[in-house]
Amino acid sequence: MTTKPRTIETAAQTPLAVSVAELSFTYQGSERRALSGVSFVQARGEMIGIIGASGAGKSTLAQCLNRIIPEFEAGDFHGVVAIEGQPLDGKHVSEIAGTVGMVFQDFEAQLFSTNVAHEVAFAMEQAGMSRDQMNRRIGPALEAVGLAGFEPRDPTTLSGGEKQRLAIAAVLALGPDIIVMDEPTTDLDPEGKAEVFTLIRSLRERGLSLIVIEHETGELRACDRILLMREGEIVAEAPPDQLLTRLDLLEGHGVHPPEINRVLAALGIAAHARDVDHAEALIRGHLPGLAHDDGSPAIELRAAPAAENPAPPLVEVEHLNFSYPGGPRVLDSIQLAIRPGEFIAIIGQNGSGKTTLAKQIVGLLKPESGRVTIAGRDRAALRPTETAHEVGYVFQNPDHQIFAATVEDEVAFGPRNFGLAPEEVKRRCAEVLSAVNLENQRESDPFLLGKGERQRLAVASVLALQPRLLILDEPTTGLDYREQRRMMSLVSELNAAGIAIVMITHTPWLVAAYARRVILMRRGRLLFDGPVREFFAADALLSSSSFRAPEVTALGRRFGMIALTADELIERLAKYR
Amino acid sequence: MPIYLYIERTGVLHRLHPTVKVFALFVMFWSVYWVDHPLALLPIGLLILAAAESAGAWPNFYRLRWLFVMVILFTTLTWMIFYRRGPALIDLRIIHLSRASLLFGLGRGLKLAELLATSVVFLSTTKIEEFTVGLSTLGVPYRAGFAITLAFRLAPLFMDSAITVYQAQSLRGYDFNRGGPLERIRRYVPVIIPVFMGALRKANATAMALEARGFGRISRPTSFIEYPVAARDVAASMMLVAIGAIYFTIYYTGYGAIPLR
Repeated sequence: MTTKPRTIETAAQTPLAVSVAELSFTYQGSERRALSGVSFVQARGEMIGIIGASGAGKSTLAQCLNRIIPEFEAGDFHGVVAIEGQPLDGKHVSEIAGTVGMVFQDFEAQLFSTNVAHEVAFAMEQAGMSRDQMNRRIGPALEAVGLAGFEPRDPTTLSGGEKQRLAIAAVLALGPDIIVMDEPTTDLDPEGKAEVFTLIRSLRERGLSLIVIEHETGELRACDRILLMREGEIVAEAPPDQLLTRLDLLEGHGVHPPEINRVLAALGIAAHARDVDHAEALIRGHLPGLAHDDGSPAIELRAAPAAENPAPPLVEVEHLNFSYPGGPRVLDSIQLAIRPGEFIAIIGQNGSGKTTLAKQIVGLLKPESGRVTIAGRDRAALRPTETAHEVGYVFQNPDHQIFAATVEDEVAFGPRNFGLAPEEVKRRCAEVLSAVNLENQRESDPFLLGKGERQRLAVASVLALQPRLLILDEPTTGLDYREQRRMMSLVSELNAAGIAIVMITHTPWLVAAYARRVILMRRGRLLFDGPVREFFAADALLSSSSFRAPEVTALGRRFGMIALTADELIERLAKYR
Repeated sequence: MPIYLYIERTGVLHRLHPTVKVFALFVMFWSVYWVDHPLALLPIGLLILAAAESAGAWPNFYRLRWLFVMVILFTTLTWMIFYRRGPALIDLRIIHLSRASLLFGLGRGLKLAELLATSVVFLSTTKIEEFTVGLSTLGVPYRAGFAITLAFRLAPLFMDSAITVYQAQSLRGYDFNRGGPLERIRRYVPVIIPVFMGALRKANATAMALEARGFGRISRPTSFIEYPVAARDVAASMMLVAIGAIYFTIYYTGYGAIPLR
């Protein structure tokens, strides 16, 4: 493994797809370099993964590959980017579209048309292709992404995964040799993520040169090489089997290493697992005592019994039904109770009704039939503000509430609206800013904070109202591993302090590592409501729900164990050494 | 609930050539512009209602019913009060009600409602791609035409975002309905700032995605969909020219004005 790549190829030397030499960029108004002397090459047909914490320069690098930088972003740009041997200097973004396709994280922002066929045709129209040419290319492009037959559909009616695959089809139709994907699955549910990564693997098999920026290192095992970035530099570059086993290096750079590699390392197995099957084989080879001759598991598979919570419910939902005007039923006969101190994860595909249920609990929506009670009082008879001290709701996007000039004013907004005395407002601000670790930023402009900090600020501004139940809608979306950990430590501490937590999430490892109860929703109905361990023990439910267990949990199941974290699995497997 | 107004149908209005649809929009605006009297506005109102029926646009009118009510009521009452011409029926110094002010107020309300209704019928029958083609055929530069139609596409997303921000601030105890009219407007700052910032981010992301797909590479892109000109387009165009001419004549002869006595 190279720890500081310095290979600089010139156009004449090899048939390279991408060649980047000494690339540096500083955004206008910033003193820090977003990229600093970055050099790497990509051979034709190679798949490169780029990892690193937020702010490492991954997206900046990706945007240099099709001239979005420096064309869209003013700043100080140095170095050479060459595509298929041709330096890009002086070219416009639109001129490169046919050679370098770019897929962005926000799939909503890259769909412009009213039907799928037209969406795919859009780039070809811009290239001046004839109608015949377009018609010849649309079918294969949609087929390649598994959307054949979707031609007349309105893109806004597709699922998240389908939308992102459509964005890829729209790029493919132009026939680029290189596709750059900037965190293409961040906003997707597990099923959508799986769809997109299956597609990425098939594109690789077709010989396309791919560059994929991704936080989930497990999804980058199929890469030929992975680049690890920090503070605008490539600090390591190696094939997955070499880089993804450097657990301390990855964690030290804010990257989540594959948990199954952590298990292997702890058991003294110096190897990289390609997948759960491979990890199982490696462990069985290393711990022969685990398996019986007949292949049956050595350890009895048993979920821990649910602990009873005797406290009266904080929230009760009874026979709740709801539909948006003119639409199908979004919530169907929902029944549940939330008690003080609980930590609940609500999971389910996009559109399964998770956020609608949360909005019913906080009073932003009224039941069609059935009822919601908050501390015994009928929700329908209360305005949302009347229960702000009982139930707080943190929206998925912190930018949907931030508006004040300083962090402290943002937090003080809620308490001031409730007419609290200035001293009390100040006291609460100090308390919650300390809890979310933003006490040194109280005078900062909230719009200049990083995404993780803005997310914690949003939590703080709701916490300032001292709710007994906090509902967090996908609190870790768009955060890197380090920020996710920080956010979840905060949430765990709040829970330990007695605040009940309801977390809507798509991230399997968060559910396994932090929640104690799981509510699984599908098409507006509760499919499962019970302890986490019981949920991950229910094989049929898992396979039918499109929710994937974390790899470490899936690995534990191979040995008859229900391990929710790598540490738990290591501890149990260590007995067989 | 769909966030866009377009309704998938195969009616005659849907099948009109995009250029004719954009021309129709222009002619209706033109015609409404020239006259003030409610009776002169009535025929065009009936024409719009017939178009709405033909286009199957009633669900969109239902969705926007409160907007129509607000526009008609607010405009009518405001102009009734501030149009201070003609012999007074009631004169309370600030409020001056006359037959002319009643007619003028009602005419203004109808006028705005008809402009809004024309837009609803247009958006119910016209895809944004057709809108771009229509503008382009009428001589609007492609980039400008695309930007206009993109605004129509993004507007519902910004509305959606505004509703979410409103909900987020309400949950933090914010009362939007406190104080007088000016104070109430000022109290929307906690909504306006996040929506504006979000709009800037969304616009930037969309612009990058457009360029990355080759937008602007050539000045006159080709069109994936063929829009042949049919006999109905010629007939519709002639009818629209006649409507425009009739309304200009009504204006020119003074029949569309409000009599002051």
